[in-house]
Amino acid sequence: MIGGLDFSAVRDNLSYFFIGRYPKGTLGGVGLTLYLAAVSLALSFIGGLVLGLLSVSRNRLLRWGSMTVIQTIRGMPLLMVIFWMFFLLPAMLGGGMTAAWTIIVALTLFTSAYMSEIVRAGITGIPKGQTEAAISTGLSHGQAMFYIILPQALRNMIPSFVNQFVSMIKDTSLAFIVGVTELTQIATQINNRTMLFPTEIFLFIAVIYFIICFAFTELSRWLERRLAYRKSI
Amino acid sequence: MTYKFDWAIVTSGKYFDWIVSGFYVTIKLSAVSIALSFLLGLIIAIMRMSSFHPVRWFAHGYLEFFRNTPLLVQIFFWYFGSYKVLPAVANDWLARQDFEFAAAVIALTIYTSAFIAEDIRSGVRSIPKEQMEAARSSGFSYIRSMQYIILPQAVRLTIPPLINQFLNLMKNSSLAMTIGVAELMYQARQVESYTFKGFEAFSAATLVYVAISFTITGLMTLYDKTVLRPLKGR
Amino acid sequence: MARKIGLFVLALTMVGAMCGAALAADTLADVKKKGVLVAGVKDSLPPFGSVDPNTKEFVGYDIDFVKYIAKKLGVKVEYKPVSSANRMPMLMESRIDLIAATMTKNPERAKQIDFSYTYFLTGQKFLTKKGTVKSLKDLEGQKIATAKGSTSEQNVAKAVPSATVLSFDDYPQGVLALQQGKAIAVTTDESILAGQLGKLEKNPATKGQYEIPEFAISEEPYGIGMRKGDTNFVKFVNDTILEMEKNGEAAKIFEKWFGPNSDSPIARGNFKITADKRGTE
Repeated sequence: MIGGLDFSAVRDNLSYFFIGRYPKGTLGGVGLTLYLAAVSLALSFIGGLVLGLLSVSRNRLLRWGSMTVIQTIRGMPLLMVIFWMFFLLPAMLGGGMTAAWTIIVALTLFTSAYMSEIVRAGITGIPKGQTEAAISTGLSHGQAMFYIILPQALRNMIPSFVNQFVSMIKDTSLAFIVGVTELTQIATQINNRTMLFPTEIFLFIAVIYFIICFAFTELSRWLERRLAYRKSI
Repeated sequence: MTYKFDWAIVTSGKYFDWIVSGFYVTIKLSAVSIALSFLLGLIIAIMRMSSFHPVRWFAHGYLEFFRNTPLLVQIFFWYFGSYKVLPAVANDWLARQDFEFAAAVIALTIYTSAFIAEDIRSGVRSIPKEQMEAARSSGFSYIRSMQYIILPQAVRLTIPPLINQFLNLMKNSSLAMTIGVAELMYQARQVESYTFKGFEAFSAATLVYVAISFTITGLMTLYDKTVLRPLKGR
Repeated sequence: MARKIGLFVLALTMVGAMCGAALAADTLADVKKKGVLVAGVKDSLPPFGSVDPNTKEFVGYDIDFVKYIAKKLGVKVEYKPVSSANRMPMLMESRIDLIAATMTKNPERAKQIDFSYTYFLTGQKFLTKKGTVKSLKDLEGQKIATAKGSTSEQNVAKAVPSATVLSFDDYPQGVLALQQGKAIAVTTDESILAGQLGKLEKNPATKGQYEIPEFAISEEPYGIGMRKGDTNFVKFVNDTILEMEKNGEAAKIFEKWFGPNSDSPIARGNFKITADKRGTE
């Protein structure tokens, strides 16, 4: 008992919270939350890079098209993107895509739009003189972008990416709505079964989420300080 | 099985009314939460910059905790879990109110205020320290210097990130559907489950969300061009 | 701006146009080939479907029916948790092969999917705090909790138009709202309410404080949901559940979950699984 709260329901289901029905069923709980976040982030990195490069492209049509996509996704709630994916993906690809992968696609699409803005800001933050210098040494525009600009820009973006990862971990909780057994869904299941301990259960998972997210927030701050230090040399 | 489009269901009649009422609830929920989260964010930001350690630590803890936990979990906590931590009187009173709406407002307000406080603090920190020193030396108290000298400038600078947070809040308000608040997303889903016309229902709701976002983003660009650039270009 | 939005709608419509013909599959052959039957079930709704806290296995009335069908097919079962709102889309999108999740048969749904014969029959009632509700009249203007996308939600909106219907993702959350005084009643099928009441009775903190008043607002026949036009599979499932009625297996499963010694006793009355057309016409 802590301050009149009874955490027995949490204690009895501890392994369920962390790994779900694994090894009897698929991985769930905290394990699945981290898995969803990590896979979606890796894919969003690629998506964000592609969209970001398109949005600074010199071809007006490409730039305009990618900006429309980015702004539209940014104008929608993530929940809406999730419902769309659940509705459209099966229609386009036929069945056979698991709910977890549908969520990964939705998270990737959503986060890529936000990542692309980070990428764009990173690229436009590198002084114009650098591109001009690179071109004057005989590199093409594309080469200048890939060998000179992007490497520097990416290094400056690292803290923002880590911050995106924190948002991503929080966003995976929405997978609950479509029945993916990540941490929030497991909490609701246990809450539905035991009925008497909603306060303890939701407090407990809030703390778990906090520990994970805070660790990454601190990592991002540390990276930021290191970058600032390197720049000052 | 081919999907037959039937746009008429969302452009008029009963289901159109559902979507419209969802839109009203989304706007109401967002407006109330925006006002409250701005106030709370301002208070937390001032506490965060206080020279009194316990107050500063409390504000810091508040910021970190509420920013680093999912909004959905916070909504569930306030809706299902708060009855154990609140006094019986408060519970009885809340149960008689529109508790679903209230819980959504509480969760959205607290979550967003943590982000807003951080934005305000960065705004304040971008104001040169000399201004505060000058204000203090001309006889203003700390609170007064904040009120008359620092905050007005900081607020002007923080308007763009603030508007961004308000937009996020508007989009996040869709999560209130999980506790039965009949906002836009909830109604879109209702239309889908009554008619099995998901494509039309989601299109209508998406259009509304995107239209709100575009409008606000447009206004922000205008503000940036007319108010902020001249300021920065002093 | 207007042009942008116009283009966006155009793009969406093109995607929509691609939502083409999903061919009616032969699930029976597919399942046998895969060796796995994927069943959409409830994961926290005893006595129909829930995860047993000790063994982490799915258990319940619906689950036992699925198990028998899979055994007869000679395949393994994979359970997918579904909610009232997402179970039909999941079936139509072939994420699951059948729905065994307290699903009421009704004509609108029967247009979209095929149902088996009725394998459980119940009626929609209310779970309330003892003595608060005697008849439908007591519910007028009150808040009533139920689950999103369920027939219960649509029935109660018709039966008590003046009430505010609170829709949750699932019934236990509604019961929680009832306990905390946020709703005067939870409404759904008697069988599900009996399970929830059983849970409340088992708990010393809530024992003896709740009841299910006598009056009902509808008849609810449950069917196993399958894809439209999947005739072989529908026939196989129907034959299987008729066989279960004949060899006493169906009665045994009922006894196990709703008999006098269970957590949620209700009477089976004269219900038998027959080749009925309930709820689909």
